[in-house]
Formats: sequence, C-alpha cells, structure tokens
Amino acid sequence: MTAESLSQPYRDPDSGMGMELMAHERKERLMQRLKVSLVWVGLVLLLAVVLLQLRFDPAYVLQHYDFVLQGALTTIGISVVSILIATILALLGALGRLSTNSIASGVAGFYVSIVRGTPLLIQIYLIYLGLPQVGRTLETYGMTQLGDLFILSAIQSGVLALSLNYGAYMTEIFRAGIQSIGHGQREAAEAIGMSRWQTLRRIVLPQAVRIIIPDIGNQFIAMQKDSALVSVMGIWEITYRANRFARKDSKFMEMFLLAAGLYWILTIISSWLEGRLEKRMAHAYER
Amino acid sequence: MNDNQPIVKVNDLHKWFGLLHVLRGISFDVTPREVLVVIGRSGSGKSTMLRCLNFLEAPSSGTITIDGNSITTGPGIKVPGDEIQAVRLSTGMVFQEFNLFPHMTALGNVIEGLITVKKMPRDRAVELGRLNLDKVGLLDKCNEHPIRLSGGQKQRVAIARSLAMEPKVMLFDEPTSALDPELIGEVLDVMKQLAQEGMTMVVVTHEMSFASEVSDRVIYIDHGEIVEEGPPEQVLHNPEHESTQNFLRSFSGEES
Repeated sequence: MTAESLSQPYRDPDSGMGMELMAHERKERLMQRLKVSLVWVGLVLLLAVVLLQLRFDPAYVLQHYDFVLQGALTTIGISVVSILIATILALLGALGRLSTNSIASGVAGFYVSIVRGTPLLIQIYLIYLGLPQVGRTLETYGMTQLGDLFILSAIQSGVLALSLNYGAYMTEIFRAGIQSIGHGQREAAEAIGMSRWQTLRRIVLPQAVRIIIPDIGNQFIAMQKDSALVSVMGIWEITYRANRFARKDSKFMEMFLLAAGLYWILTIISSWLEGRLEKRMAHAYER
Repeated sequence: MNDNQPIVKVNDLHKWFGLLHVLRGISFDVTPREVLVVIGRSGSGKSTMLRCLNFLEAPSSGTITIDGNSITTGPGIKVPGDEIQAVRLSTGMVFQEFNLFPHMTALGNVIEGLITVKKMPRDRAVELGRLNLDKVGLLDKCNEHPIRLSGGQKQRVAIARSLAMEPKVMLFDEPTSALDPELIGEVLDVMKQLAQEGMTMVVVTHEMSFASEVSDRVIYIDHGEIVEEGPPEQVLHNPEHESTQNFLRSFSGEES
C-alpha cells in the first residue's frame, strides 16, 4: 500500500574510517576488561598472602573439601525448591495486593507485613519448633491426621520458611513489575474483548516477568546464602558441614572460608544463568 | 444511507472525574456505513467520550446502545461484565499510542484476540491474521516484533488487530497524533480504504483534511457538550458557532 517507511541510514561505500573507529573502541573495551581482571587477581593474591601469614592450613582445606562440597547439593536443592514455591506465593501475593477484593488484599498485605517484619531465623524456629505444638494440640482433640501435617522435618521446615520469607519480598517485586506495564496494554487487550484474567496471563505477566527477571535472580542469589540458616536445624548442607569440622579441630578460618568460597561459586554460576535467561527474553525487544 | 437504523446510539452521556464534569449530556447516533468525525480542543472531552463507547472509561450516567446491546449506567449501577464484553466485541478501537503488545510479533498481535477471545483454532486464526495484515499492506512484516516497526507500521498493525475481530464499528482515538508527519499518510490511507469499504467509523482526530474528505458528518465538542454537528462542508467550512470558528482558525495556519 505504501512505500517502505523506515528510512535506511546512509552507508558510505568507503567504510575505512568507521572500521578503524570500531576496531579502536573494541581494543579499548578489551583493555578495560583486562585491567579489571588484573585487579581481581591482585586482590585474591593479597588475600592468600594475608592468610598464609595467619598460618592458614591449605592442606586441611583440601582434606575436607569433599565433605563440605557434598553439602552443596543440599543447599542447591533447598534453594531451588524454595525459590519456585516463593515465586508462586509472590505471584498470588501480588495479585492479592492489587486486588479490589478486600479479603484478598487484606490477607496479602498482612502476609507481607508480618513476614518482612520478623527475622528469618525466628521464622525457622517457629516453623520447626513451634508448629509441632499446634500439631500436638490438634491431636489431643482427636484430629491426628491434621495434627501430623504440622510436624515438619528439618528440610520441610527450612523450605517452608525460606519460601514464605522470600515470597513476601518477591510479592513486592511482582507487584511493581505488574504495575510497571503501561495502562495502554491492558486497554488494548480489553478493547478486543479479553477478560481481566486473559489480559493478565497473556499480556501483562509475560511483560512483567521479563522486567523482574534480574530481581528474581537477585533473590535467588540471596536465598542461597540465607539457606545457611537452616543449618541450625542440623541439615547437612554447606554451612553445617563446615561448622562441624571447624569446631572439632578449631580450624575456623579454613572451614568457613571454604564454605564462603563455595557459596561464592554458586552465586557466580547463578548470576551467569540469570544473565543468559535475561538475554533470551530480550529477543523480542532487539531492534 | 440514513434510512438505516442507527448502529450506535448515545443518549445523555455524562462523565465525572471527581468534581470535574467532563461530559455534560452528550447524545448522538451513528448509522451503519457512516464515518463520524469528532473534533474539539484537547481537554474538550472528545477522547473520553470515545472511550466511554466501549467502556474503557465507565460512563457516570447515560445510555449507550451499540449493535442492539443497550447499557444504561448511573450512580450505584454496576454494569455486568458480559454486557460490556458484548459491546467490546462489536467495537474495535485504535489508540493514539498504538498499544501493540511488544512481546508478540505483528501476526501474534493480530491473532491474539482470535485465539483467546474467539477460541479460534490456531491455523484458522493465522490465516485470518495474515489476511488482515495484507489488507493494511504489512504481510511482509508479520514476523517482526513491534520494536522493529515504524510508528505508521505499528498503527497499521493495530488497525489489523482490531479488524481481525470483525467489529461492527471502529473507534479511532487520535490515530495519527503520535506519528511523525511523513508517516501520517499511510495510516490515513488505510482508514480511507476502510471507509470506502463501508466500515462504520467514529474518528476523533485533528486531521481536518481527512475529516472533510472522508467523513459523512462532523461533531464539534467543547467543554463536554456537542456545540455543532453537521456535514463536513458545513461544520468545517461554514461553522455557525463562534467557538467552532475560533477552534478551526487555529488550524488555518497549517495547510490542511
């Protein structure tokens, strides 16, 4: 019907100057990255020197490396399951907070307030040590099966506490993400007859999730480290395992640095994965 | 043409935003195949009026009848969702800011309503979607995402998205106001073609040349009321009211 309306930028047949500039910029970027890497290497070496001065025992670390590493699987497992449940809770929480239904909005607001307002460690204690009291009370009323549901294993308690806790923080992330999608998107969907639910599922959420992927990734990284708290219940994850030998042989620096290093590596891997996901989802937005 | 029963009937439409009375008793009809152009200053209420027609804006009171579905609203009246749905299915709307879904391709945008609302099988929807993209001259862009389209192309995809739903009435809310001047023509061409094919259209616009060329009737709205109404040669070229004359004078500087 009409001619091509995007005009093409002018391309000079002699592109020599442009090529030269691009090569120069590429070289500068490379140099910059090289320098930053050197700074990192320098800092690691500095740390190593300081540690050796403290009579740090690398042989001890190598000896117990395997034992602590075996806990990584537990740490990852707990974190992955918890972030998945937290994401579902956060979505429900955000929908509740944005709802015009006073019950939904009240419940969601209460949940976010109470969970964000109390320490994660207390929540772990309440779920692991406090909830069985509820269960036992129910059992005295004869509701044995219902009561059993409140007596959770250490792992179940840890997953529940982390999910509830992160679900509350992520509720706010989801809410902000949903609200960041312009009103025009909703109007366009409703104008073609889509219901509110269809609009949310097909139009608003896919766009909101792309925007909050970095934040969810951030929460996942934070959760991997907060999962160290479940060691108080005797779950054999990284921190618990490191703690055992640290105390037994008084090798605190050795074992806790080892644990810290493992967490660090886990988070580096996670943020790399998050970056890839982010890139994949950006596809539709690349010119 | 005017012996037809009206397909759109608006009766005593009022809209309040808080204490602002932005629509003050608007009434008009649109007959099938008619092109009605609505003009007026910004803030006159013309866009609000258009958005009330498909309930993107809830009217404060009044009766709106579109294709036989009549909805009366007033304080305390909650309009059932299915009645609003019926009105939205018989109208298509084109927005100033296009509002294409950025995470979907051009074709994805056009077939979205067919699949989710009309529950059409995907292959049938794609067929219809391609037909409508072809109609606006953009079949070759069907797999592009909106970010790679120019403003004019985006608006044409938005028109195709509305047309795919086979509405009885098309509503245009300043469809060319967000476009670079050189891209306005391609959108107006599509609209002219629609008018020639007999689509019933209500167009809020500042494009006076389009209004005088294509419209059957022009309404001038000021301060939430219809001040003047009639064929374009009368309202645009021989307005009776001083307010209309002043408004049109502000356009005479630019060649229309």
